[in-house]
Amino acid sequence: MSGQLPIPVQAYLVVSAALFAIGLLGVLTRRNAVAVLLGVELMLNAANINFVAFWRYAGGGRMEGQVFAVIVMTIAAAEAAIALAIILNVYRRFKTMNVDQIALMKG
Amino acid sequence: MAALWQSIWQAVWQAFLSGSFWYPLAFFLFAAGVLIPALLVVFSKNIVHSALWLLPCLASVAGLFLLLGAELVAAIQILIYCGGIVVLILFAIMLTHGVGDPDVRVHNQQLWWALLPAAGLGFVILYLLHSESWPVAPPAISADVTARLADALLTSYVLAFEVASVILLVAMIGAIVIARGEPKQ
Repeated sequence: MSGQLPIPVQAYLVVSAALFAIGLLGVLTRRNAVAVLLGVELMLNAANINFVAFWRYAGGGRMEGQVFAVIVMTIAAAEAAIALAIILNVYRRFKTMNVDQIALMKG
Repeated sequence: MAALWQSIWQAVWQAFLSGSFWYPLAFFLFAAGVLIPALLVVFSKNIVHSALWLLPCLASVAGLFLLLGAELVAAIQILIYCGGIVVLILFAIMLTHGVGDPDVRVHNQQLWWALLPAAGLGFVILYLLHSESWPVAPPAISADVTARLADALLTSYVLAFEVASVILLVAMIGAIVIARGEPKQ
């Protein structure tokens, strides 16, 4: 160990970028509303990896990266609860979970 | 010749003992543990399997946090995501869906079109990664990371902290009210 971590920060950024792209693919292609939510969770985790990686590599002793990661997780929990409640209501009304069939306002 | 082999063996052994062998190995294991389950989350036919594949994915993200030295964030990741959100999602699936009907299409018609922005975004980020010079991290960080995180949360970022608690309360009440539906007359 000569003065730095044995992994460059780009390694974490590549993993995070791939995870974000996979999550985006899930959001754009899945029909089930819960599966769309799963894609959103993947994208939030990719952002969190970036926050913590830059805290470690470029933080310079400040704690903003970890603070942001913790706040993002809190908001993600609130978002999941609200989204699942809305999905339950939509299912009760339309008897389907597929977002391409819930097109009441389509012209 | 024997001296050469001995020096090579010693170098390998030194690397084995130091972090420069285990750290990249652990990183690649966790990276594979993030990306392969993430692909299975997006592409598996059964929505329950999708939700369950989220578990190893999120746990491996916690492993990456541990490698980066953020122990508290890793613990919160396990508690909130693996313990809370995945269970909540499984409940929502059980409450709504005729579970695992294999004949239903799980993807919409725009799978190939959606590959375009996803792959494009990935390539743009990779290009930026390639074209930029990045900082390198010092090998050690101070041992009181968690204490300093708590300090930052309760001094500089106390407003964000309190607002997050209010948001959680609002989300809890809102989720109950929305999920209960219209009262029966």
